[in-house]
Amino acid sequence: MASHSMGLAQVEFSFPSGPVLLAIAPLVLLYLGLVAFSLVDLIRAPSVRYLPKAVWALIIVLVGTGLGAIGYLVFGRAHGPAVGANHDRTGGQERGHGQPPDSFDSAQVGDAASSSLPTATRTFTTRTDAAAVETHGLTRDYGGGGLFDVDLSVPRGSIYGLVGPNGAGKTTMLSILAGMRRADRGVVRVALPRNAIAVCPDVPEFDGWLTAAEVVDLARGLVGAAPAENVIGDALRSAGLADVADRAVGEFSRGMTQRLGLACALVGDPQLLILDEPTSALDPAGRAEMLDLVSSMRGHRTVIFSSHILADVQRVADQVGILRQGRLLYQGPTQALIDTHLRPRWLVRIAGDTTLLRAELGTQPWVTGIVPVEPGGVRIDATSMEAGERGIPLALAACGERLISCEPVAADLESAFLALTTAR
Amino acid sequence: MTAPATTSSMPGSPVAKAPRAVTIWRLEWLRLFRTPRWIVLFGVYLLFGLLGPVMAKYMPEILGRVQSEMTIIVPPPQPKDGMINYVNQVGQTGLIVVVAIASSALAFDARRGLSTFLRTRVGSMWVLVRPRFVVTAAAAVLAYTLGTVAAWYETTLLLGSLPIGAVLAGLLCGSLYLVFAVAVVAAAASVARSTIGTVGIALTTLILLSIIGGLGVVHDWLPSTLAGAPVAVLTGGGLQEFLPAMAAAAGLSVLLVVVAVTGLRRREV
Repeated sequence: MASHSMGLAQVEFSFPSGPVLLAIAPLVLLYLGLVAFSLVDLIRAPSVRYLPKAVWALIIVLVGTGLGAIGYLVFGRAHGPAVGANHDRTGGQERGHGQPPDSFDSAQVGDAASSSLPTATRTFTTRTDAAAVETHGLTRDYGGGGLFDVDLSVPRGSIYGLVGPNGAGKTTMLSILAGMRRADRGVVRVALPRNAIAVCPDVPEFDGWLTAAEVVDLARGLVGAAPAENVIGDALRSAGLADVADRAVGEFSRGMTQRLGLACALVGDPQLLILDEPTSALDPAGRAEMLDLVSSMRGHRTVIFSSHILADVQRVADQVGILRQGRLLYQGPTQALIDTHLRPRWLVRIAGDTTLLRAELGTQPWVTGIVPVEPGGVRIDATSMEAGERGIPLALAACGERLISCEPVAADLESAFLALTTAR
Repeated sequence: MTAPATTSSMPGSPVAKAPRAVTIWRLEWLRLFRTPRWIVLFGVYLLFGLLGPVMAKYMPEILGRVQSEMTIIVPPPQPKDGMINYVNQVGQTGLIVVVAIASSALAFDARRGLSTFLRTRVGSMWVLVRPRFVVTAAAAVLAYTLGTVAAWYETTLLLGSLPIGAVLAGLLCGSLYLVFAVAVVAAAASVARSTIGTVGIALTTLILLSIIGGLGVVHDWLPSTLAGAPVAVLTGGGLQEFLPAMAAAAGLSVLLVVVAVTGLRRREV
């Protein structure tokens, strides 16, 4: 018998027995089970949110009627499986961090026969024409912005860089190609089956409580790719995530998430890969690795990628399309764009004075400008790239100068891009 | 962006059992059980199932012990009061929890990156909606059943036995209403893009249906009538009174899922 003060009344409390005990027991068990589960989960969790583990432990134990435990489970618990979850799934065998799952059971999910959007002007075929993707008169008007009469042609096996200022229509273009937005008019022709296309957005997102290997496996199952041996591990390794295959993706940085997006795209072995700003969240080393990976796909996979980083596009894209205000200003080989739209200009450095060289260049009809820029240096403007490339060595030889260096000035895509987007 | 393979196998070590494939069905299972969703869902129904009859049993005693100048006269509790307490409590809190959990699964367009991941890999919205609807609805029905069993157990111990037929009839009606509620969430997810918006539209719709049901004209044909059915069948009503509402709930659930699939297919991301 015990006596407790409860508010305004004195309540006599007696320990329950019989049916009352049987009725109260489940409630007590539920409470104790909740607290025990929360404490065990807290101990096993590699990290918790908002508060230190010790504080959460106190809250679980001291905050009454299980509210502390519920508060921890809802707010404090970090996303993802508890540490060791994968070990449980692998029959208790330890699996190192660098070891992605070896194989997965088969599961073919999803009918990937058609687009998710009912676009009447969109066709998927299995033809083997030279162009993997073509659009004709593609228009999507957002009231001034959008795309207007775009005729895109992406050669099969090429790496096609789509560039343009903000609001030029790049994302709209990629979204229409991916089947996520409709065109107002025009034709999209993709010479590939729907499940041979993979899309990776600029900011991929995944359920944070899945591991990286599970996300890639889900992607594989969704496109109906065969569960070949170690296909998940290969995709993760390609994206540089083999070491974190068993980590919950909720703990990933943006750069790692972007890599995971690429792994998901690669797991289905797509013939067409659409990448929206694939290097936007990567550090310089990661960017270089991503570009190398994209570059290695040339010839056996068609890649369309948009980027604000023109140096990236110049580095890997053999074809480029420049959009401005929804219109395609240029489309064709990247090098041809650079050659066509650049002002042909070189910086020549010689050992010694440049007077003789400048005099010799002054007699040449292809030279449009000569500017001494530094001791031993001269900037030469020519009528064309070809004229300069042929004429400069001859001029140097004619006056017998010793050449130190000869390099094109601003010979990059950025200059071509600026020339195009500011000239019209 | 390549890393050396580190896979190795120790001679004589047990062969690792391959992890199960993550299918779109298993994804929903994991969503429920790898996050606090299952604790909240089953916890709420189980807690109210255990507490409802206890509160019904001891409420007169509790009120009697609170000193007050006002005298509160509470009639002795009947067996049906335990179940009524449970149904009334889960009818509000439980429904909100079900709507919130269903919204978190069905409003996949709330996160554009995730939506792109899913939408560009399946040919039909039905493939995405089906497991989310089925698993969530099944979990809600299971939680409601668990709570009902708990309430039944407690009521039998503390207040007396309940007619088994009436309890099962009430369970059937309540379960059908929860399936309808999840279907409402699916349709709401095709209207609103965010999870909060989906919760708001779904709850508003369910509340409006309850208000319209109170007007009397279409009461018998509204699915919201089923929310009160577990109480009504315990207090003398028959299951046959709710057959029109059950038929409407089943039919409308199918219709709402079709609306959801169509709406989500038309939506641009």
